[in-house]
Amino acid sequence: MSERVAIVGVAQTVFSPKRPDVNYAELAYEAISLVLESTGLSVEADIDNAVSCSHDIWDGQTISNIGITDVIGGHLRNEEKLAMDGSTAVYYATIGILSGEFDCTLALAHTKMSQTNRNIVNNTAFDPIYSRLLGLDFTSAAALQAQRFMSRYNISEKQIAEVVIKNLANATRNPWVHNKGFYTLDQALDSPVISSPIRKMDIAPDSDGAVAIVMASEKKALKVTDKPVWIKGVGACYDAHYLGDRDLSECYALRSAAEQAYRMAEIDHPRDEIDLVELGDEFSYQELLWLEGLGICGSGEAADLTCRGFTSFDGALPVNPSGGLLAGVPTNVAGLNRVAEAALQIRGEAGDRQVGDVRIAVAQGHSGFCGQHQCVIVLGRE
Amino acid sequence: MKSAKDNVELISIPMVVDVPYRFAAGKYMTRFLTELRDNGKFYGIRCPLCNRVQLPPRIVCAVCHVKNSDWIELGNEGTLVGFTIMYLPLTDPTTGKPHEPPFAYGSVRLDGSDSVIDHFLNVEPVVEHIRIGMRMKVALKEREDRVGDLGDILHFDPVT
Repeated sequence: MSERVAIVGVAQTVFSPKRPDVNYAELAYEAISLVLESTGLSVEADIDNAVSCSHDIWDGQTISNIGITDVIGGHLRNEEKLAMDGSTAVYYATIGILSGEFDCTLALAHTKMSQTNRNIVNNTAFDPIYSRLLGLDFTSAAALQAQRFMSRYNISEKQIAEVVIKNLANATRNPWVHNKGFYTLDQALDSPVISSPIRKMDIAPDSDGAVAIVMASEKKALKVTDKPVWIKGVGACYDAHYLGDRDLSECYALRSAAEQAYRMAEIDHPRDEIDLVELGDEFSYQELLWLEGLGICGSGEAADLTCRGFTSFDGALPVNPSGGLLAGVPTNVAGLNRVAEAALQIRGEAGDRQVGDVRIAVAQGHSGFCGQHQCVIVLGRE
Repeated sequence: MKSAKDNVELISIPMVVDVPYRFAAGKYMTRFLTELRDNGKFYGIRCPLCNRVQLPPRIVCAVCHVKNSDWIELGNEGTLVGFTIMYLPLTDPTTGKPHEPPFAYGSVRLDGSDSVIDHFLNVEPVVEHIRIGMRMKVALKEREDRVGDLGDILHFDPVT
């Protein structure tokens, strides 16, 4: 049984609004071939498990991983798929290696949002009898959550817009993403309202892309790389499905997932001990809510923290220096991209978006509307 | 007289889950479909290690996990390796219309290919007229009617 698990390789495709030139297997293989090349590992000799994250309804194919069986090395071998955010691939890969069953796991997430319609796809996430007939999608559900969160803690649209301005400016340092730029508060607040209080610029745009990472037992990891990124802690938790069962201004599932991950990583004071956070800002307000769920500050305090520059690129705790999901990262791929970005920061290989010396980083991913399922991964250099 | 149990009303909600897609054929299938549409030819892709000629053409050889690279022109005749006679009116997803039963699906290994291709068989759909090992020939739509999808193949005819 392995006592520790490490990320030994990271690769991502460029994320773009539309990749009409490739099917999703070819897209996935761009990331897979890169990560194998960079680590010098081969599917036959080294990889003994594969875990992928994708959604049947996004891919338009039941058991959506059958489309990537060949490229991930799943032919007559072990491969499993989660219809969840990509962060859960890291969670399950970690468990598999810790159990002693597997030594080296290839984790993948892919999605081509451009091939269908996000509003229709996300409407099918709602229960067909009780809530689907309203036509609800993730944006309208998020708007209900944003409104509830903002009114409870007296948070203004200006404060939410600061997240947009920060992340899109951070994204100018990130060559892999497509939605970036230096915007003023007025520009952000002039963005058309889609579902009040959510504006177009508050929404992570449609994107196509894939991320692949390789994880290994301690023994294997030390043979593969001199810069292993250790999985220090993992946690995952589900909240209720029905919006009406949940207090949308709170994120109990994230609190629980974070507590599990911090306990495992022996983190007692997350705000002081964590050097960097990459989280799933599918909508801008979520960056604030998730920071509270991650225990970086108290409930309702993340807006002030953000406006004071605490989470800025050169702040005390940089949050989404990559630009986050607002910069254009596909759904499902989102959380694996968070883990990949956190790992690159720890390795000191984040290029222009490197924030300095990162010893402990937290990556957060979520699945379902309003962050129903939450997954937290703590990564560290030692 | 009805019992109370028989009078329980059960509600169910009819709904069509209608999700539109546009699937990119990708680099490999785009070349296959272009050759089929423009020149009426079948191309498979050969693994540089194990030499398997695969249909449909795809980026990676699943067995060897290497990138496929060699395009191989295949014959438009092959051998029937399996078939079924259908009595269910299965729906064509591109038209929404059913295929009229009875009809036959067959699996044909085109000459030069290691994979088989599945399509309709243009034979009387009775077991006595179809046998494993039959030689079959591809029938395509006329050039001007071909659009670049698998529907450009009409069916397989028996080689007489």
